[in-house]
Amino acid sequence: MVIKMAVVGCPFEMSPMYEGERIRKDDLYVELAGPKSKGFEIVRSAEMNEIEDGKVTLIGPDLKEMEEGSNYPYAMIYRIAGEQVEPDIESIVERRNHDFQNYIQGYMHLNQRYDIWVRVSKEMVSKGLESLKQIAEATMMMFKNELPFIEKIEATFITDMTEVEKELEEARKVYDARDTRTRDLHDEDVDTFYGCTLCQSFAPTNVCVVTPDRVSLCGAINWFDGRAAAKVDPEGPQFPIEKGEVIDELGGEYSGVNEAAVRLSGGMFDRIRIHSFFEYPHTSCGCFEVVGFYMPEVDAIGWVDRDFKGTAPNGLPFSTMAGQTGGGKQVVGFLGIGINYFRSPKFLQADGGWKKVVWMPKALKDKVVESIPDEIRDAIATEEDAADIESLKSFLQEKKHPIVDTWAAEEAEEEKAAPDVAPAEAQAMGGMPTLAPMQMPAMSLTGGAGGGLKIILSNAKITVDKIIVKKKE
Amino acid sequence: MKTIAITGKGGTGKTAVAALLIKYLTEGNNTVLAIDADSDTNLPAALGDTVENTVGGMRESLLEERDKLPPDTNKKSLLEGKIYSVLVEKPRYDLLVMGRPEGPGCYCYANDLLRGIMDQIASNYEIVLIDTAAGLEHLSRRLIRDVTDLLVVTDGSRRGLETAERIRDLVTELDLNIENLYVVLNKVTDTNRERLQEYATELNLKLVGMIPFDDNIADFDLEGLPLAGLPPDSLSVIEVAKIAKKIGL
Repeated sequence: MVIKMAVVGCPFEMSPMYEGERIRKDDLYVELAGPKSKGFEIVRSAEMNEIEDGKVTLIGPDLKEMEEGSNYPYAMIYRIAGEQVEPDIESIVERRNHDFQNYIQGYMHLNQRYDIWVRVSKEMVSKGLESLKQIAEATMMMFKNELPFIEKIEATFITDMTEVEKELEEARKVYDARDTRTRDLHDEDVDTFYGCTLCQSFAPTNVCVVTPDRVSLCGAINWFDGRAAAKVDPEGPQFPIEKGEVIDELGGEYSGVNEAAVRLSGGMFDRIRIHSFFEYPHTSCGCFEVVGFYMPEVDAIGWVDRDFKGTAPNGLPFSTMAGQTGGGKQVVGFLGIGINYFRSPKFLQADGGWKKVVWMPKALKDKVVESIPDEIRDAIATEEDAADIESLKSFLQEKKHPIVDTWAAEEAEEEKAAPDVAPAEAQAMGGMPTLAPMQMPAMSLTGGAGGGLKIILSNAKITVDKIIVKKKE
Repeated sequence: MKTIAITGKGGTGKTAVAALLIKYLTEGNNTVLAIDADSDTNLPAALGDTVENTVGGMRESLLEERDKLPPDTNKKSLLEGKIYSVLVEKPRYDLLVMGRPEGPGCYCYANDLLRGIMDQIASNYEIVLIDTAAGLEHLSRRLIRDVTDLLVVTDGSRRGLETAERIRDLVTELDLNIENLYVVLNKVTDTNRERLQEYATELNLKLVGMIPFDDNIADFDLEGLPLAGLPPDSLSVIEVAKIAKKIGL
C-alpha cells in the first residue's frame, strides 16, 4: 500500500515501507517531544455532534517557524466519534498513531503516551512539507481508512510549551484512569489467552499460558504483551489460545488451554489448571522468577526467588529446586511463577491462595507485601523468622497462621479414618527425618525403617497404575 | 547493507582496526552504524566518543521497571525508544554500545524484542560495523544477525593465532552463515612477516591484509588520543584503506 499524498495536498508518501525509517541527526530538520523536550499523544472519544470532521487546530509555532536542528514540545490530541466509538477503545486507537505516522516518509515516531519522540527530516521539508497540519490530515485520513468505525475525527496539535504542559496534566489523569481499568481485567473478561514458546528451545514440553490474571513464569510477558505480539505476528513466539469451555473456574481449567497443552507439549500434558499448585499445575520452564515448594510437615507452600542466595526451610537453595522443577515439566510439589503472579487476585485460588503460603525471603515478601491479605501478612515467615521446618512450625503457631488450624483438623480426620496408623504417626511427629520435598515428585519415600511416616493428602485425587513399596535394603 | 564484524583476541588491535575502518568509511560517502559488542567497550574511546549508557543497560532498565509499567505498555516500542536514546549520533556514523552482559534472570523475551529492534535500526545504514570479542557472544545469540564479512585480527603472538583458529571453528559451530572469513595480521614487522604469512596459510583463512607495526598508534594509545585522529600518512591508516577496498567497501 502506497498512498500518494499529493491527492490531499501533501508532498510525501505514506507506506508501511517507511516503518522503522530512522532520521539521523545529520538529516534532522526538527525534533519534537523526545528526551530533550516534552510531549504526549492521546485519543479521546466524543459525541458525534461535538466533532467537526477533519478539523485541525495547531497551537504554537508551525514547522516553517521552527529553527532548524532544534527541539520543540509536541502534543497530538485526537478526538473521535462514531456509533461504535466508546472510551474503552481510546487506547487501542491511540496506539495506531505510532503505526500510521511511521508510514509517513521523512517522519519518525517512537514510543507512546508521554514518551513520544518525533523527528522530521530536512529532506521532507525541502520537498515541500510545510506544516504539521499536513501531518495531522494524513494521519486522520489513515485513521478513518483503517478504522472505519471512526466516523468523525478532529485533531489539535500543540508545539507551545505552556499549552503542552497544561494539557499533559489533563492527559495524565486520563492515562491513570485507563490503567486502573486495565489492571481490573480478569480471566473471565476475555475469550482469548496467549501462549509463548520462547522457552521451548530448552524446555521443549513447556506450555506457557499467559492470562490477565497470570503473568508468564519469566515475569516478562503479560496478557497485553501477548496480545500485542500475536497481532503483529500470529506465527511468532506469542500466539492466541482460545479459552474454550470453562471446566473449572476456580482452578482455572479451560478446554482450549488443555487442547493447547497437548499441542505444545507434544502430547506430554493434556490438563493444566492455571491457578492450582497441587493438581495439574502449570508447567515450569526454567526461566521462572520464583519457585514454590510444598512442605509436607506444615502442609503449606514456601517460595524462593532467584535473588535469594540462602537455603529455604526445606534445606534447599533456589538453584537446586529450579533444576528439579525446570525443563517444561508438570511437577506436583513445585511450581515456577513470575513475581507479578503474587499480585493476582486469583493467586493459587484453587488451593486457598495466600492462606497456603507460609514462607518467603524477606526481599521478595517486601516486594509484594501490598498484595498479601492483612490477616496473613505477619504470619508469613522469612529467613529472619525461620530457617528450618522446626522453627517455621513454631513461628506459624505463634503467629496463628490459618494453616495451623488445618493441621489439627486433618489429624483428627486421619485418626478417625485410620486408627491403626495413629501411634506410628504420633511417634513420627517428633523424630521423623525431614522428608525432603525435592523427592516428592518421584514419591520415593525415605526413613521407613525408624519412626514411620506421615503423608497428608488434602483434597486429593490420585490415579495410580501401579505402586510398589519396598523396604530399603 | 553490508555487515562487517571485527574480532580477535584482546590486545591484538581489533578495536584499532575497527576504528580505522570507520574513519575510512565515513571519509567516503557512507553512513555507518558502529556497534561495540565487546563488553570491554574500547571502541568509543578509539573514536573519541563518550557513551552514557548501553543497550545492555537499557534492557536491564526495562526488566527493572517492567512490573510498574501500565499493563498495556507496548514494551517493544518502549525498548526501541530506550535504544534510540543511547545511540551516539556523529556526522556520518552512529555508535551503539552493547555493554553489560546478561544477569541471572530470564532474557528470552527482552532479547526477542531486542533482535527485532536491532534489525530495524541496522536496516537504516549502508554499512554496519561491529567490534566484537572473540566469544562472538552477541552473534551467537543472534542479537546481531547476518554478518557478511568477519575479519579476524591477530598479532604475531601464538595465543593470538590460536584465538583466530578458535574463532574460525566457532563460526562453523554456531552456524553463523558468514559469507567471508578473513584474517588481518597486525603489528607486522620485517622479522615476523614471513612466519605470520605461513601461519595464516596454515589457519586456512583468507589473508586480507598485513598492518605494519605503527609508531603513531603506539603514541596515540599512550597519550589516550582517539585513533580516529591519526594522520592520513600513518602506515596503519594506509593499510586499512587497502583492506577496505579488498573486501569491497
